[in-house]
Amino acid sequence: MEKAPAAPHPEYDLLRPIEDPGKSFYYIVAVLLVIILYTGFVYIRQVYYGLGVTGMAQPVTWGFYIINFVFFIGISHAGTLISAILRLSKAEWRRPITRMAEVITAIVLAIGGLHPIIDLGRPDRMTHLFYNGRLQSPLLWDIVSITAYFTASTVYLFIPMIPDIAILRDRGVKPRWLYEFLSWGWQGTEQQHKVLDRAMNILMVVVIPIAVSVHTIISYIFAMTVQPGWHSTIFGPYFVVGAIFSGIAAILVLMIVFRKVFHLERYLKLIHFNYLSVLLLIMSLLWFYFTFSEYLTGYYGHEPNEMRVFWYKFSGAFAPYFWTMVTCNFFLPLILLSNRKTRTIPGILIASISVIIGMWLERLIIVVPSLANPRLPYPTGIYIPSHTEWMLFLGGVSVFILGYMMFARFFPVISVWEIQEGRQESSKTVTERITSYMPDPQQPLAKE
Amino acid sequence: MNKKLIDRLQILSISLIWLLFTGIAVWILNLIKESLRLHDAPDASLGISLVAIPVFFTLSSVLTYVFIGLRKGRRKDVES
Amino acid sequence: MKWGMVIDLQKCTGCGECAAACKLENNVAIVEPKESEMGRTMLWMDMLTVYEGEYPRLRVRQYPRPCMHCDHPPCTKVCPVRATYKNEEGIVAQIYPQCIGCRYCMAACPYTVKSFNWYKPEWAPGIRETANPDVSVRQVGVVEKCTFCVHRLQKAKEQAKSEGRNLREGDFQTACAESCPAGAIVFGDLENTSHRVNPLSRSPRATRLMEDLGTEPKVIYLKEVD
Repeated sequence: MEKAPAAPHPEYDLLRPIEDPGKSFYYIVAVLLVIILYTGFVYIRQVYYGLGVTGMAQPVTWGFYIINFVFFIGISHAGTLISAILRLSKAEWRRPITRMAEVITAIVLAIGGLHPIIDLGRPDRMTHLFYNGRLQSPLLWDIVSITAYFTASTVYLFIPMIPDIAILRDRGVKPRWLYEFLSWGWQGTEQQHKVLDRAMNILMVVVIPIAVSVHTIISYIFAMTVQPGWHSTIFGPYFVVGAIFSGIAAILVLMIVFRKVFHLERYLKLIHFNYLSVLLLIMSLLWFYFTFSEYLTGYYGHEPNEMRVFWYKFSGAFAPYFWTMVTCNFFLPLILLSNRKTRTIPGILIASISVIIGMWLERLIIVVPSLANPRLPYPTGIYIPSHTEWMLFLGGVSVFILGYMMFARFFPVISVWEIQEGRQESSKTVTERITSYMPDPQQPLAKE
Repeated sequence: MNKKLIDRLQILSISLIWLLFTGIAVWILNLIKESLRLHDAPDASLGISLVAIPVFFTLSSVLTYVFIGLRKGRRKDVES
Repeated sequence: MKWGMVIDLQKCTGCGECAAACKLENNVAIVEPKESEMGRTMLWMDMLTVYEGEYPRLRVRQYPRPCMHCDHPPCTKVCPVRATYKNEEGIVAQIYPQCIGCRYCMAACPYTVKSFNWYKPEWAPGIRETANPDVSVRQVGVVEKCTFCVHRLQKAKEQAKSEGRNLREGDFQTACAESCPAGAIVFGDLENTSHRVNPLSRSPRATRLMEDLGTEPKVIYLKEVD
């Protein structure tokens, strides 16, 4: 069946990347595939020779893999949390952002979830976790919660996508069978809308506690040991705040990239960036508050082992990383984002990239110093990541980019039907809502 | 592709999802059983794992609800 | 039965014989010099170096550090597959075929007693002939640590059973206790009043490493007198 020229669609800008991808897409995919293939080879080499090919040793027995595990799963909070919270609070400006955010979550969770497996000395024995898993171990809690979060976020990504898939199906976009299969017979009838709405309402509430639990449980991996610098009750909320923080930064970077590449200036306007970057600023202040509390408590208690880790971070071998982290996470975003003049797209881009780097450094600073300073009189551990670990890091990022590009190739990154719904109905809904906030009309005074 | 085939694949995919989630629930129950036998897991983890199972079934129920609801809500004149 | 160890620091000369004996007894692999510098030496019994005072009144001491075999082990709590667990006799054991190499127990142990097989373990050609047939050899990617020579315990138990009697104190000694030339390491059943460790563990000089952590280690050090 020859493809009939599709009728012009009011939101064609959002559909163009799918219907007319362009050559550069294929070049970039090819480069990414080469990187990923090489990464696969490097990993197979690690499985063959053993974890000795990494830079880990006693006492620093955890390195890049665990750092990136926490980092990637942290970014996953972007999606589901932001889109769920923004939908729940009925923020109308969320409409172009929710889909992008949800896709980040789904892809990055898959990558992050694979990292503990990469870290295993015996990945061939992975099935032991299923047959003999121990529920006393925080790692098992992690597996359960990440599985729950991954399934929840995939469902939460898919269900709001159904009307968009139907649009693509109706426009005859190839591969037709894919859109037929996934659109589940959507026709946009009123009944179907009701079903979708109800499902989304349930999901956006269910997803939030799952998301909060995931990063809390990841923090428990560290907090449930007795090691100095780890055994802290603040870790749960600290990690969740850090995750949301890095997640917002990730969405912002992605928004800026897509805006440029797909020419979405009409959809991703300065006001969207403005609002999100204010959220980023708030999270930066929150992050600083938690970090400050954590270190002040440690310092004031002055317990010898805690202090060794403390000084290691503040003025010892890790001081450059620590202060870079504080600059990237707090000072730079504070300066760039609190001033309206610098809260421009380039400014927001710099701030977001800085936060992503800073949050990665924060994971490094949480994992390595506590391990490098054992309680018994051993020399301070040194960790120098090897080529294998760097490649697996790069590979992870490449898988993320490739996954996202594949998604953008087949599905719109901005929710078309929600934009249309916004155009048609939002003004009325919002006006009604705001009117309902206002005081009720005064009752006419009784005649005297 | 044949509309009937796509139909059947859709039903198959929903069934597979139920199968997967049941498998996950069985696994979690297995973990809980093992913990009770060895008696070394904090009761909190057992409780939370028990809570995790309904979460999965909520998700599959929502998916099934949407699936059936969308089929029901179709206009009668267009078949499938 | 609760197996424990008492190390008398007054008698200990820091010679390191216990560390060497342990390696030979348990087929612990040798690592290359480059790996050893990185920190991948595998020492089930390690010698800790403690510096006291300042030059010119500097004192350097070395004391042995096996696995503490805690009664409340932080390592068994975090193992996701029960590859490390505490058995009924108080020994914290490792199940090598079960270990998936996640190294969580290594990160959780406050005494850093565990070793990891970063590469496939290798031994010099001659050593293979003198390897201990009673101890299973570990593979790559698996955590290992001091087991209080549990293979000797098994042998002693079988011997006692075949002779129809209970275990005596002399039946079973760890390699380190056996090899110590100064007799500083004493091993036995902490709950059995006839074993030497029992009165020694209640000596006024007795102390344990980092007991405030609540791990209840079963290796007791007798402080030096001077």
